[in-house]
Amino acid sequence: MPPLEETLLAAALLLLAALSLFDRHLVRACSWFVTFALVVALAWARLGLVWLALLELVLGALLTGAFLFHALGMTPLVRRPRGFFARWHDPLPLTWRLALARLLPALVVLAMLGVALAALGEGVGSLRPAGFVLLGLGLWAFALHRHLLRRLLAFNVIGTGIFLLLMSLAEPAALPAAHGLVITGLVVALLGTALGALLVRRLEALEARHGARARTHGHPA
Amino acid sequence: MIERLGLSPATAPLEHQAALWVVLGLPLLLGALGAVVRPARTWPVVVAGMLPLLALGWLFAEVAGGAGRSAVTEFGPLTLHWRINGLTLLLLLLSGVIALASAIYAPAYLREDVEASSRGQAWFWPLLGLLSSSLMLIWLAADLLLLYIGLELMGLTAVGLMLLPGKAEALVAGLRYLLLALVGSLAFLLGVALLLGAWGRLDLAGLAEAAEPGAPLWVAVALLSGGLLLKAAAFPLHAWLAPVHASAWIPVSALHAGLVIKASFFIALQLWLLLVPAAALAAWAMGGLAGAAVIWGGVMAWRSVKLKEMVAWSTVSQLGYLLLAFPLLVGTGSAVADLAWQGTWLQLAAHGLAKAAMFLAAGNLILATGESRVEGLAGASRRFPISLLSFGMAAISLVGLPPSMGFTAKWLLLHAALAGGHWPWVAVLAVGTLLSAAYVFRIFRYCFIEDAPEYEFRRVPLGMDAIALLLALAALLLGLAAAWPVTLLRGAGGEP
Repeated sequence: MPPLEETLLAAALLLLAALSLFDRHLVRACSWFVTFALVVALAWARLGLVWLALLELVLGALLTGAFLFHALGMTPLVRRPRGFFARWHDPLPLTWRLALARLLPALVVLAMLGVALAALGEGVGSLRPAGFVLLGLGLWAFALHRHLLRRLLAFNVIGTGIFLLLMSLAEPAALPAAHGLVITGLVVALLGTALGALLVRRLEALEARHGARARTHGHPA
Repeated sequence: MIERLGLSPATAPLEHQAALWVVLGLPLLLGALGAVVRPARTWPVVVAGMLPLLALGWLFAEVAGGAGRSAVTEFGPLTLHWRINGLTLLLLLLSGVIALASAIYAPAYLREDVEASSRGQAWFWPLLGLLSSSLMLIWLAADLLLLYIGLELMGLTAVGLMLLPGKAEALVAGLRYLLLALVGSLAFLLGVALLLGAWGRLDLAGLAEAAEPGAPLWVAVALLSGGLLLKAAAFPLHAWLAPVHASAWIPVSALHAGLVIKASFFIALQLWLLLVPAAALAAWAMGGLAGAAVIWGGVMAWRSVKLKEMVAWSTVSQLGYLLLAFPLLVGTGSAVADLAWQGTWLQLAAHGLAKAAMFLAAGNLILATGESRVEGLAGASRRFPISLLSFGMAAISLVGLPPSMGFTAKWLLLHAALAGGHWPWVAVLAVGTLLSAAYVFRIFRYCFIEDAPEYEFRRVPLGMDAIALLLALAALLLGLAAAWPVTLLRGAGGEP
């Protein structure tokens, strides 16, 4: 039976992840994500992985959050999101075809992973189930949304789920290698989010310019 | 297979590790220098670009004559593993040559292409350096942590390079590429996590010994190959490739189709050979995908409207030949595997050179005519004979006609398939050759239209034509000198 504190932490993680993935309001979703990253940092710190906690704080919460809000066109001065990405609504209605094409691969991956994890034996604590559920939530969100920002959020949540799984699977002798993997993964997640955010801004700028040109030339956009 | 991949525990350690660091670091350094200087002329790039090849020469001298070398780097509590053998040297040389060709082509191309934004140009050189370094890292790495770092570095820089044109189409295609690359890297990381959890180590040689068949191994290999094949644009996961190439800069396309896609394939094949060397049934399924890739890619290349689209689809088709390595190498006898081993790496080298040459030649044709559609090439035979000659020579290697390197490679693959009695793969090779002949000759049909109206056209700088011609010549004539890479593959890799 894992201690109460740990169970609470895992439940908080899952709740925050679900909120950040499925909140209809994008700005709120991004704020939930930053809170989620902070709780992840707290979880690492509790496990005695101070370096990882610091990295998660700086890369996962601060910088990723900054890029997410940049993608929404928000700065400390401008509090209202701009651009069409902020107004674009999802999720898609779930049709059979969509369910087959997108959800099925996600479910297959989860089932395979479940089988493999069962064969690897019981883990200690709630790290492993938490990671597994985070992975499932992220895959679900990734399959259902087409909005780029929501997909980036889902990507980050899946990544965190994998990190939790990785640390729960690693034996003490394999910890340095696991640290190396997680640190690389954190940097990759940040760079991917940053690239995506910059792309969103650039696309919006092009859209705006194109729209303006179309208006001056009399062509409807 | 462990010996062939240069991972046997008996390999002697590398004497001067500095050679390794120079080979890995020099492209990065030159890229940073390029960001500061921003070369507008060709000759400084030629001079600077020779340096990484000289560094490679040093590494060749270090390894010469032996059965490969291994190296270990201690980084605090972390141990990183490296290996260098004949195969590695061949791949290092290939990536050095193609990267150099793209770099030499770039200054003139960026000057000529009026649409190239200057903001994009500033990023080109450091990203090119980073991409070359990450490729070298992937060829040399002998543990999964290094491979993960190299793969991610390569994937993100490749996305960055594809985005440089800054136009809306490039951005939309790049966005899709970014998401797929991220999904691929998540699958890869999950697979690595399972392997680490099950056997507690990441070095390839150790994993090959420790791994036991069972659910964790199968799931891990499935996840790893899924992620890698997505990044390699293997058959059902190839849809992102053509749009990405359609709007990218020419030297970037050449580098991407010639090397980046192959790196993911290289990692996937290596993992299969080490972790599941007897999984013949799964390998046959991969062979089915290979056949589908060859046929579908060929048909789409034949039907494509734009010249670059045709070259990109032909990459999907040619990658199918490489995927044949799975059924021919996994779970087959040593006679078949021996032939297929040589055929696969020769095909990789031949396709890398030929495809890079073809992209550069196609870029010259597009710049000269100002027309990206295939129909725009009407009358090209009289106006741009040199560009068309390079295109044709690259095409000969792609189709696999003698004396090209592509012919030698396909000949070896065909022999392997015949020796093992794998009739379906023989059929795939035959159909693929016919299809590639069809899509290549379709281009020539337009080029040799004599009564085409005289549109205005631009003359392409001689240097750009020369570099495409040299690469195409290499792809064509190396078939005659194929004995050298084969000895390299055999000799330094150790006889199995």
